[in-house]
Amino acid sequence: MKSSNPLKRMIKPLVSPAVYDFWVRKLVSNAAWETPLATVVERHVEARDSVTLLLRPNGHFDGFIPGQHVNVTIAVEGIRHTRSYSLTDVPRKDGLLSITVKRVGGGKVSTELCQHARVGDVLELGQAFGELTAPADYQGNWLFLAAGSGITPIISLIRSLSLSTLKQNVTLLYWARTRADLCFFQELRELSAREPRFHLHFVLTREHEMLPNDLQGRPSLALFEQLVSDMTEQRAYACGPAGFVDNVRELIAERVGFFASEAFTPVTTNVVDLGKVTVTLQRSQQQVEVATDKPLLAALEDVGVTPASGCRMGICNTCACEKTAGVSEDLLTGEMDTDVNSALRICVSAARSDLTLDL
Amino acid sequence: MPSKSRELSPKELEGFAAELEALRARTVADIGEQDAKYIRRVYSAVRYFEVAGRGLLFLGIFPPAFILGTLFLAISKILDNMELGHNVMHGQYDWMRDPKFNGKSFEWDIVATGDNWRKTHNYRHHTYTNIKGMDEDIGYGILRLFPEQRWRPGYLWQPIYSIIFAFLFQWGVAIQELRLGLWFSGRVSKEKMKKEFAPLGAKMKRQLIKDYVIFPLLAGPFFLPVMLGNLIANGLRNLWTFSVIFCGHFTADVEVFPKSVLKNETRGHWYVRQLRGSSNLKGSKVFHILTGNLSHQIEHHLFPDIPARRYAEMAVEVKEICQRYDQHYNTGSMLKQYSQVIWRIIRYAFPGGKPTFSVRRVAAES
Repeated sequence: MKSSNPLKRMIKPLVSPAVYDFWVRKLVSNAAWETPLATVVERHVEARDSVTLLLRPNGHFDGFIPGQHVNVTIAVEGIRHTRSYSLTDVPRKDGLLSITVKRVGGGKVSTELCQHARVGDVLELGQAFGELTAPADYQGNWLFLAAGSGITPIISLIRSLSLSTLKQNVTLLYWARTRADLCFFQELRELSAREPRFHLHFVLTREHEMLPNDLQGRPSLALFEQLVSDMTEQRAYACGPAGFVDNVRELIAERVGFFASEAFTPVTTNVVDLGKVTVTLQRSQQQVEVATDKPLLAALEDVGVTPASGCRMGICNTCACEKTAGVSEDLLTGEMDTDVNSALRICVSAARSDLTLDL
Repeated sequence: MPSKSRELSPKELEGFAAELEALRARTVADIGEQDAKYIRRVYSAVRYFEVAGRGLLFLGIFPPAFILGTLFLAISKILDNMELGHNVMHGQYDWMRDPKFNGKSFEWDIVATGDNWRKTHNYRHHTYTNIKGMDEDIGYGILRLFPEQRWRPGYLWQPIYSIIFAFLFQWGVAIQELRLGLWFSGRVSKEKMKKEFAPLGAKMKRQLIKDYVIFPLLAGPFFLPVMLGNLIANGLRNLWTFSVIFCGHFTADVEVFPKSVLKNETRGHWYVRQLRGSSNLKGSKVFHILTGNLSHQIEHHLFPDIPARRYAEMAVEVKEICQRYDQHYNTGSMLKQYSQVIWRIIRYAFPGGKPTFSVRRVAAES
């Protein structure tokens, strides 16, 4: 933590971190007491509905390993939202980061980042996290399977491998709807022309104009057998929507030497209508089964959990706590809340799926 | 004093609540970017006024700089206390999901800790508004403002000590949650009091050191004007918040309630109690902002978690609803409302006055 800095220690009794951030950001737009922030320094369209943003983080960002992602927080219509994006580049000397955002229909953050983010804008970052990383000492072959924006962690891994001349075989199968949706298209083509050990295959699922080398169709054993000769010697990484990843895992996980995957978690909307849901209480490290037909506060109390509470009608805010996952319904407005919520008033909210609360 | 509002039948109470809740829902639907921008602007204003005020006070040896610096610092503290702190701490801006404007963690530039305030004010005062024995804001434990409060000889001095209380208001608010009375009468142990005082003590120390040691020291030879300016700015803020809050709950027509109203209280009753326990102030837009929009005390008590900047537009409809249900909508200029408050402070220093507890009398269905 940078707040051990003597200057900051000295001014702490005078100026709170929030006040410090207010003034320091007038001078340096991405400076802060302790929050990792990043300025957009370059923006370019990567493919249809996909935009790459080059970011300059401040000193509070601790770096990353290729294949990891970061949480990006921005305000849309006054409300802060957080989403995870893969870092698509390798760690650079100048410290710049890049993310590639694909616009999702109805996605608030992706739409805002794709259409409205401009050079000079400042985004809030989290620290990098994620397990889809590659060991540096591995000598065998690599098999990368990406679907849609699943290419974003994969491209980072490929870039980290191809920094020097490839000594191993690297195969990439990249599924996209159409040719126009392919990200990093030119770069991948150039890499495959330059590196005889890099085998590139585009698989297009909804393209009308197929070219001679294009493949089509969903993942199948036949396709893998046709393209990858020695399955057992492959270290395989798959990334894409949950359905794709499940499918690929079923097909090849047992056949390859090593299999790792990451699926995008779709927003939970498969809401439990009746009966009980599981509430995970982070701080007290316990899980409880609670009823969904009454406010969360009452439901928690029924099973012996007694969070701080006051008016029990949504006015005093005493019971507000952070919800880090799950769907809740605001019983006053009837609105479903699928997002992370920093202040969920549990006395006027009911659980509509399994939840995680900071209690 | 008999109530100026008609007693409502259960059916009318239901309708009254339904209309207010519809107004609430309509307003909530419109809350968004504008409100987020607004509260950020208020935050900026607090910061700019503070820097301008403290900057000018460093030149406080020149009278115009001293006066303007003190005034700016007082404005910064007033905005921080009311339109920003009070309203953010109600959770009015929690929907932004911004930790800087989170109701549960916000901390303000007065000696009272945010945590204590959230208990006495957000929970007790707002849930049990004007219920004697539950809402400690009635007289703050030292003033007799209603005939329903038992008279004691000490109250004879309240016209004088209420003035001191007004200038030290932040200290009164700060120690309210400690309930020193219980300690003095031996009902709370010294250890417990010590434990409860610890966070408050730390906050008090921080505030005192900031305003009366560090900033004056930074001014070097101008130590005294800076210290004096800070003292006056804090005093002005105290007087202002005292005035606004007292005008919001202790004007002539405001009613107090016995604990018995809580028995089977419906949503409709709750709304009616909030309405009858509050009074508004008329004024310009700047005036409303400086009061933290608590000039719309009625709307604030009906909808404490709606961004306060919305109260002005909601007031139009609230007033109209009240008219249709024959409920008195207590509003007036600051001069009118404040003189009623002062009258209460003087009148109820003396014994007597006819208690007219607003017991819930539900009109029979006709």
